[in-house]
Amino acid sequence: MYKGREGQWAFLLHRLSGIAILAYLLIHVFSIGSFIFGERFYMAIHETYDWPIFRIGLVFITAGVVYHAFNGLRIIVMDFTGAGVAYQRQMWYAVMALTVISGLYAAWTLLPRLLGGY
Amino acid sequence: MIRARTFIDAKQQSHSNAELNWWIFMRISGLILVFLVLGHIYMTFIQVSESDATFTAVVGKLANPAWKFYDWLILALALMHGTNGARYSIEDYIRTRPNRAWVKGVFYTVVALVFAFGTIGLFSI
Repeated sequence: MYKGREGQWAFLLHRLSGIAILAYLLIHVFSIGSFIFGERFYMAIHETYDWPIFRIGLVFITAGVVYHAFNGLRIIVMDFTGAGVAYQRQMWYAVMALTVISGLYAAWTLLPRLLGGY
Repeated sequence: MIRARTFIDAKQQSHSNAELNWWIFMRISGLILVFLVLGHIYMTFIQVSESDATFTAVVGKLANPAWKFYDWLILALALMHGTNGARYSIEDYIRTRPNRAWVKGVFYTVVALVFAFGTIGLFSI
């Protein structure tokens, strides 16, 4: 890390969210795909995921995917348009706003399920 | 090898356009994945409870060819996009050639196994 400004944080967060999403995806494919080992095996994993820590983790994965998706769009706009480079900082704040809003929205959706045990 | 200082030198030293092709792939697959993955999260986490993804529900859903195709498209595109993205990080942060070789070897093997597992799962029902 050098003392960069918003662009540097955008880059770092893009990498970190990307790696987190990839790690999630590999585990997700295994746990959903495990239905081929039968109902008991699948449900054992599924019931473990009912622990609050895993369910709260989904909120962070959602926020991570939203960040990665919209920052990726920002990168594409920067690659192909001059205005994209000129306004990259403003676009990054818009991406961060979307990330926070969707993270809060996901948490808001999850909360009653978590408290209600559903 | 002499370090390439000009575009012409670099072009003569490279054997293929692989990096350019991956660069294009990252943008195209990213654009498609925005819709596929955000849609997937919306439909399976926001709209319904994650607790609903029981064995019966998942097997019932994936028996539908449309979902099979949707999910397999995510699986293939996201794994390629993610593996290439992680390759960028590996090449940036792992400093010696032997370390890069074995880290990549193990990493690509794990991804290939997960891809095969997911594909077999999807098309076995």
